[in-house]
Amino acid sequence: MIQVHVSKRLHTAEGPMDLVFSGTIEQGEFITLFGPSGAGKTTLLRMIAGLTTPDSGTIIVDGQPWFDSGRRINLSPRRRSIGMVFQDYALFPNLTVAENIGLALPREKRGVIVGELLEVAGLQELAGRKPDKLSGGQRQRVALARALALKPTILLLDEPLSALDLQMRLKLQDELLRLHQRYQPTTLLVSHDLSEVFRLSRRVFVLDRGEVTRSGSPTEVFSQSKISNKFRFNGEVVHIKPSGVVYIVHVLVGQDIVQVIASEREIATLKVGKRVLIASKAFNPLIMPLDE
Amino acid sequence: MNPDFTQTMILTFQVAAITTIILLVLGIPLSYWLAYTNNRSKTVVETLVSMPLVLPPTVLGFYLLVFFSPVNPVGGFLDSWFNLRLVFSFEGIIVGSVLFSLPFMIHPLQSGFGAVPATLREAAATLGISRVKTLFTILLPNMKPGILAGCVLSFAHTVGEFGVVLMVGGNIPGVTRMASIAIYDRVEALDYATAHQYAFVLFAITFAILLLVYMVNRRFARMELT
Amino acid sequence: MGSDMNSIPGTIAAIDTDGNLSLVDIEVTSDFRMSALIVETPEHCPWLKTGHKIKILFKETEVSIARNLSGQISLRNRFAATITDIRSEGMLAEITLERAGHQVVSIITSRSAQRMELKTGDQVEWLVKANEVSLTGN
Repeated sequence: MIQVHVSKRLHTAEGPMDLVFSGTIEQGEFITLFGPSGAGKTTLLRMIAGLTTPDSGTIIVDGQPWFDSGRRINLSPRRRSIGMVFQDYALFPNLTVAENIGLALPREKRGVIVGELLEVAGLQELAGRKPDKLSGGQRQRVALARALALKPTILLLDEPLSALDLQMRLKLQDELLRLHQRYQPTTLLVSHDLSEVFRLSRRVFVLDRGEVTRSGSPTEVFSQSKISNKFRFNGEVVHIKPSGVVYIVHVLVGQDIVQVIASEREIATLKVGKRVLIASKAFNPLIMPLDE
Repeated sequence: MNPDFTQTMILTFQVAAITTIILLVLGIPLSYWLAYTNNRSKTVVETLVSMPLVLPPTVLGFYLLVFFSPVNPVGGFLDSWFNLRLVFSFEGIIVGSVLFSLPFMIHPLQSGFGAVPATLREAAATLGISRVKTLFTILLPNMKPGILAGCVLSFAHTVGEFGVVLMVGGNIPGVTRMASIAIYDRVEALDYATAHQYAFVLFAITFAILLLVYMVNRRFARMELT
Repeated sequence: MGSDMNSIPGTIAAIDTDGNLSLVDIEVTSDFRMSALIVETPEHCPWLKTGHKIKILFKETEVSIARNLSGQISLRNRFAATITDIRSEGMLAEITLERAGHQVVSIITSRSAQRMELKTGDQVEWLVKANEVSLTGN
């Protein structure tokens, strides 16, 4: 369990801003920190990693204080059990994929663990390559595998998928979920992409100007759950096609693309990439068994 | 070929090579500290390191001469305890050259450290990799152009050193007479042919070294682009 | 979600519950009452109470239009209105209607609009089945 109570004054372009966060995260949970850029998400992640020092507060991980301003405790990042994926991946350019993943491991375990991670992340073919010979998605996988190598208590992900296109993002979101299930690290993901929040995390903290404005499950926080409809889904608009006086909106729901008819007035509030709730009356859908 | 000439050229390159190695060993920790510290004394240290860029070499040479003279407490101490006399000796011109070429090693290394993305150091820290291991496996391999530039500039600068060496070392053939002093010495003696020989060889070698650096650096730059 | 689809504010006037289903009567104005059939019950839904202010939502494509409708019809939601705008393009036509200051949009086939010779200013009736009507509470 991670108990975080920290505050720090940040100096932003719009003047000073106080970042205040208080929260408890259970072992193995997948949390997102969501909010506009400049809200303090990355700084919070860095404070947990020990890369940025809070002005005051405590960070207690499984009963062990990592930071306690009152007792002048501040563990260096080297002594915190963390794995971090940076926004720019921060792969070591002079080392191969396998060397990047294995650098932190003791020599006697290196071969086995690196081999396993290469396999799990689908990187075997690329083991001998240098990072500059990899695609964005491949780099992201290497960074993730490297962060998991030491089996950290906490996995910190700083917008790891933001630089990738939609197709690759969806694929890597699935992989991230698979890896999380396999290694079960307590995971904090910084994201400003709503679909990522819905697909990956059980709980979300919404940060704005340094403050947590809302928290809870993504559906609680983002859906207009006050609507009566029982047939409803969260999805992401992937395509909008005009057709006479109406529009056909393609919405990605889970792995499937569904199509919804929308009027011109509905379209005014939609654009590709927008997270949407689609609802229908429970009376409408046809239901039929699939051939097995 | 004139044995004096050969002896002087060998001595010159010996001094330059030893100076460069010492500077590299001293320069890595010092420039690492300068690149990453927030300590207030950083500015003072940076200023001291850069002094040789603007200070007349004779000033530094003069102080070293006074300082290391056996009649001075420091020089006397070195002389009686370590049997080390730094005036008019080979060791003396090494010390003088190291001090005088310090900025030529520190500046490229410091900007080399600064150019390595901060996230690489941070990533290493989150992986629990020690500072020393980070230095040797992550930082230094990713700043090769800076290291090369530091070594070559220090080497070339030491080869061309005159004022400090003359003050501290004098002009003892085979011990402290370096090529640049030999040129001065030959011109004084109106032996223009030998002076020209020294001058041309220094010119050609320095040109060749710098040309090599620029070529190698272009290759590094291309590698980073791809 | 407020202004994009057909959305009319009202007050819950009556609720008839059977199992998981509720038939809700909503008063928009004294002579404008709509019904909604929803899969929800007052016990599970905090805003599903008589007297609560709610919003009625229904898709434009579920709204039918009739003129001189006679005989019996099962639909509970049928209201007289005036056509204020018609926009026809290709296969579909968008008909804007007004009743008691509330605007309702219907999307029907252009063919039907032509067959019925609909034009601005016409008095017609619009109809929507109660099971096509959604409610949203505050």
